[in-house]
Amino acid sequence: MTETVITLGGKAGQGLITVSDLLLRYLSRSGHFVFAAQDYMSRVRGGHNFMQIRIASDPVFAPLPTSHILVAFDQRTVDEHKDELIIPALVLHDIDDVKASGNATFIGIPIKMFAREAGHPVYGNSVALGAIAAVIGLRLDGLITLLTESFGKKGGDAAQKNVQAATRGYNYVRDAFPFIGVTLPRPGEKPKMLINGSQSIGLGLIAGGLQFISAYPMSPSTGVFNYVTSHAAELGILSEQAEDEIASVNIALGASAAGARAATSTSGGGLDLMAEGISLAGVAEIPIVIANIQRPGPATGLPTRTAQEDLDLALNIGHGEFPRFVFAPGTAEEAYYTAAHAMNLADKYQVPVFVLGDQLLVDSYVTLDKLNLGKVKYKNHLADANKVKTPYKRYQLTPSGVSPRLPYGVPDTRVMFDSHLHEEDGHITENIEICRKMVEKRFRKLAGMIKEPLGPTLYGDKKPQITLVCWGSTYGAAREAVDALNAAGIGAALAHFNRVSPFPAKEAATFLKGKKAVHVVEGNYQGQFARLLARETGFKTGEPILRYDGRPFTARYILDGLKRIYGNGKFRRVSL
Amino acid sequence: MENSGGFHYEGEKAWCAGCGDFGILAALEKALLKSGKRPDEVLVVSGIGQAAKMPHYIKTNGFNGLHGRALPPAFGAKAANHKLTVIVASGDGDMYGEGGNHFIHNIRRNIEITAIAHNNQIYGLTKGQASPTSERGMKTKLQPEGVILTPFNPIAVAIALDAPFVARSFSQEVELTAELILEAMSVPGFAFIDVLQPCVSFNKLNTYEWYQKRSYKLGPDHDPADKAKALEKAFEWGERIPLGVIYKNPRPGYVANTIGLDSEPLINKTTALEDVKRLTEKFY
Repeated sequence: MTETVITLGGKAGQGLITVSDLLLRYLSRSGHFVFAAQDYMSRVRGGHNFMQIRIASDPVFAPLPTSHILVAFDQRTVDEHKDELIIPALVLHDIDDVKASGNATFIGIPIKMFAREAGHPVYGNSVALGAIAAVIGLRLDGLITLLTESFGKKGGDAAQKNVQAATRGYNYVRDAFPFIGVTLPRPGEKPKMLINGSQSIGLGLIAGGLQFISAYPMSPSTGVFNYVTSHAAELGILSEQAEDEIASVNIALGASAAGARAATSTSGGGLDLMAEGISLAGVAEIPIVIANIQRPGPATGLPTRTAQEDLDLALNIGHGEFPRFVFAPGTAEEAYYTAAHAMNLADKYQVPVFVLGDQLLVDSYVTLDKLNLGKVKYKNHLADANKVKTPYKRYQLTPSGVSPRLPYGVPDTRVMFDSHLHEEDGHITENIEICRKMVEKRFRKLAGMIKEPLGPTLYGDKKPQITLVCWGSTYGAAREAVDALNAAGIGAALAHFNRVSPFPAKEAATFLKGKKAVHVVEGNYQGQFARLLARETGFKTGEPILRYDGRPFTARYILDGLKRIYGNGKFRRVSL
Repeated sequence: MENSGGFHYEGEKAWCAGCGDFGILAALEKALLKSGKRPDEVLVVSGIGQAAKMPHYIKTNGFNGLHGRALPPAFGAKAANHKLTVIVASGDGDMYGEGGNHFIHNIRRNIEITAIAHNNQIYGLTKGQASPTSERGMKTKLQPEGVILTPFNPIAVAIALDAPFVARSFSQEVELTAELILEAMSVPGFAFIDVLQPCVSFNKLNTYEWYQKRSYKLGPDHDPADKAKALEKAFEWGERIPLGVIYKNPRPGYVANTIGLDSEPLINKTTALEDVKRLTEKFY
């Protein structure tokens, strides 16, 4: 695999996002595989934010600790990232703001001056974009087309000014640094989709028939809510910003009881507040999808950073006992199918369904050729009012545990949802016999749930010396580590778990049978998945490779973990 | 079929003999019968508490959720299917204590529902602790030296938030309560009725006699459209307690103000695969 890695850094509010977005759009349209991870601080202005863009010959799904090109919007970016540069490296910067140092080649561009020429400091973004384009060999005419399209919507002379600024930056680099140039990996023939995890989860919910979303904004989950809301009016979806997370889950449950497909999105602290509502969904058997986008806790923790700390929470949240689905997709693409599937499953089994994402998954952009929209088909599981037994019983005892569900408003029918122990018709009771039967009915659903798809994905060597196990977004870094180990002649394999509840114990046990050197890789301190695996399969894995500093896994971090466990010896040949 | 026999539920009701809840239930049944609604067109939503047993004791659709959380699912259900007539039965603990935040924000939403608070100024289900509306000085097991908190004034709060319909009744006044519920059901927004109600088991202060002595019906001289006068009435408490419609300010509610909810209920709208395909094209 060949690749070029560009890191763009600066203060919040300096235009980093504008430049990165346009660059990513250009690259994906040109058919390049890209992966772009955002690292940002919990502040609106200032600080140090950066985005790393990998332009690779093959699909990649994780950040790297290194880069080839640094685009520095301020001195701090150089200070923080200079040691990550692979020499010969390039540093693009404003000629006034950054001092050259170290072994990299510094390319100073009069960004502010060109922006002033174009009429406003804001055009500095396009100057920088033009300069980057020149360095990585993009075509100026293509860039002009993109800028015209992007800024044309704003009206006035915005498009023309941005084109002028970008052209100045582009030509300046061409003229002043004629021998500087980086060759990107050869792109594919067709334009690719560029999507982040927030968008893919939101799109998946929509494809799964979402009709109602109520949520409370919380980083890093707000992107999912934003995406759905941006298309709500045109699609006839209702989006409601609730007064708090207790309200958002209970509102969604009311909508769901009335027959709407409903979901909510949140992050750990908000999920905590939803606990009782999720328990209500459990006993009242009301379908709901909860997209929980993880960030480090406890409490406020690190609001804009990444973690996999909410596994135990999702598996156990809500007092009392009830079945649930918990999914943890590995990539933005998988997140789309998972979210769509989650909507169907909530409806089919009348249980809460969790989709666990994290900051890395939702804020990172990836490219893909296309989504297979036929893979998960919308299916309505509401009962046919003409076919239910009369009088209608909301909690009719059935062999599958799933009772025919009708919405409110069916003529001559009374539909009753209840949070107590209840009779088959939903009436409150304390009858011993009914109590036992209702608990058993709810758990009979598990027999069907366990057969649903999205079980573990296996990757790599069939008879590995080293086996990695992960869940959620750690997939990208773990897969890359496995590739590097195999390339160095060390047989390695990976098992990635998307569905973690009900746990696919049989598949896990079959895969793990006879394997030695099995290491769980996950973003928390306690090794939550490793403990789940041991509990469900009796298989005791080796020392886990954990990360709990709010930063995403990289393949090198995993390799370093293996070296710590086994010593450097055989890993010397692994290039990462 | 199930609609025959109207709204009356014959089964046992787990309320104490003489409980004010019986009067409110009778008034709700009367109002529903008079409204001409079919039981399947009506949804009664509640949280937890004595009042919250209501959906079990009336033959309509029901949602008996969590303590303090009657209003959120009521809003969700109404937004999902605005053809439903949604009535919330809640208590002073449920709506003003545990669910206070939802009380504020659903008035702001102005969702087209009728919210009835059974206000007995005490916690009944948990056996006699102070509620947000308990009088200062009332002694309970948990306030042995007497309540020192200022009572919550739901009428004043609702008027301050400009709820389109704010009324007060007394559970013994079944006719008045039924009239108010019926009027509330036709309000195109959040219609709120605080119903004073004796708790015969735990509230030895605010008894039938206590309410009878003080409450009086507002006459035609009170203009509910006058916000300042309405607020004045909201603060009338102690020797005299006004009953009836205290404040009225009809204006379009949440459903009317939400684009897309004008005609067909949300539950009948589905996203076609073609629409999803169109969305994916924006990512290229």
